[in-house]
Amino acid sequence: MADLMTTYRIIRICRHHDGLKSFYFERSFDAQPGQFINLWIPGLDEKPFSISNMDKDFMEISVKSLGPFTKKLMEFKEGDFLGIRGPFGKGFTDADNVLLVGGGIGSAPLRFMANTLKSKRRSFSFILGGKSRKDILFADEYKKENNVVLIVEDGTAENRGLVTDFIVPILRKGEIKKICGAGPEGMLLAIRKIALSEGVEYELSFERYMKCGIGICGQCCMDGSGLRLCVEGPVLRESQLAGISELGLPHRTASGKRPIV
Amino acid sequence: MKNNAISVEMAGLMLDSPLLLSSGVLGLSASSLKSVADAGAGAVTSKSCGLNERAGHKCPAVLPFEHGVLNAIGLANPGVDEMVKEIQEYKRRSKTPLIASIFGSDVDEFGVVTEKIVSARPDMIEVNVSCPNVASEFGVPFGADIDICSRITRLVKDKSKGIPITVKLTANCPSIARIAKACEDNGADAITAINSIGPGMIIDVNVRKPVLSNKVGGVSGACVLPVSVRCVWDIYRTVKIPIIGGGGVTKPADALQMIMAGATAVGVGSGLYKNGPELFEEINQGIKTYLHENKMTRIDSLIGAAHG
Repeated sequence: MADLMTTYRIIRICRHHDGLKSFYFERSFDAQPGQFINLWIPGLDEKPFSISNMDKDFMEISVKSLGPFTKKLMEFKEGDFLGIRGPFGKGFTDADNVLLVGGGIGSAPLRFMANTLKSKRRSFSFILGGKSRKDILFADEYKKENNVVLIVEDGTAENRGLVTDFIVPILRKGEIKKICGAGPEGMLLAIRKIALSEGVEYELSFERYMKCGIGICGQCCMDGSGLRLCVEGPVLRESQLAGISELGLPHRTASGKRPIV
Repeated sequence: MKNNAISVEMAGLMLDSPLLLSSGVLGLSASSLKSVADAGAGAVTSKSCGLNERAGHKCPAVLPFEHGVLNAIGLANPGVDEMVKEIQEYKRRSKTPLIASIFGSDVDEFGVVTEKIVSARPDMIEVNVSCPNVASEFGVPFGADIDICSRITRLVKDKSKGIPITVKLTANCPSIARIAKACEDNGADAITAINSIGPGMIIDVNVRKPVLSNKVGGVSGACVLPVSVRCVWDIYRTVKIPIIGGGGVTKPADALQMIMAGATAVGVGSGLYKNGPELFEEINQGIKTYLHENKMTRIDSLIGAAHG
């Protein structure tokens, strides 16, 4: 555990395109797929990011330029320092016969999960979606994989549609024991509905505004049970989701106020 | 209230355990407050709220270090009107007493926030005069100014509609006992001591910059315990009203020190960092074990015991 802020040099950057990059840091701790780190841009802010891959030498995070923080991050170069605290939270659990379902940049932790399952020789399928092919992280890496299905909304990959349209046919083959999902909350809730009606176990990775990452500030406590997403999550299962009443609602902002729908 | 060995009465509040959740930790929502109450806290304190919504400082706003936690949340809060709703929801869902913490950017604002917060009927109001972010018109923190503390205490007491009030003090003043006495003289029903100390700073040597976005922040956690125990000791010798002692409590012996120094109730905050809300039950059990081993039936007799 490395809760204390430590600064690391960026050892490599993979530019997918201008607004989507993966950053590599020296590996200094163990982590499970689904866990996250808090990334500090000195003098600007600190934000949580899922670990998108880990190898024996490096840790990878993958970032899409969306707001002031991620825009600034795109300007960083190899050799520059960034602060990291973590890994935090609880990730996906190991299993055989898993279906991974990811949408957009939020699917980043599933890349780490897929690589982990592969190294353990587990059987799994991976449905990975985005608005367009360029939104799918490392889409080319999956070309040769027959257990990976790429789905886009604009027709730039083999399948067109929403990831959730492709789940039931795979489940009906009868081999899948668990679904692991990461992406927009609407997609996660659709996965949950399918998993419950098909009687399949699931683990889903949620996002909330987070501050401390160590379970004391209360910013990411979920209404209902009050669970601390940064400690008990971000990957949640049915026993935890059943006690949460704020699913699908706008998230609490930095002040703690929930915007009115 | 279950009448057990560790239950205490504090300014009219009946607490199943002397341990309470300090303000600023897990206190933003009804649900998180209830989860802490269910974990064994004798009372919970909601996050300090002011008149208006504040986003607070950018992150890093909370920074653990080897011996504690540095924080500069910057009084982030949804505003008193939203907090009233959270407290009302909490009161519907939990029987464990709730202390509503409030602050103001000037003396008058304390009065306005009090008028609003009483509508939620909290069991006690904590008057936070000690946040390092809020300074008086002379640039001195409210908590170090005996006259301002007196005026704020009197104003909140007058508008509190019979709800007991506690004033949360800072150790950053020449004599915390003198401030506590002034608060007692102006109607405080209890004293909470202490807020985070410092402020402190951590610099990253690679980027050569302070790590907290606010650069400086309050120091809490295990390293402040000797300071908070001394403050409680000083206050106990000076006032008759009960003391809520907090600052660096992370294990049963710490809570016992605080009680022996003179605290009737003990605040736990940053200590939850390592163990989560389960820490409440762990300390409750530790106190019960101490009482049993020392053939004592009630914790009350330990309050101020170190003064001999």
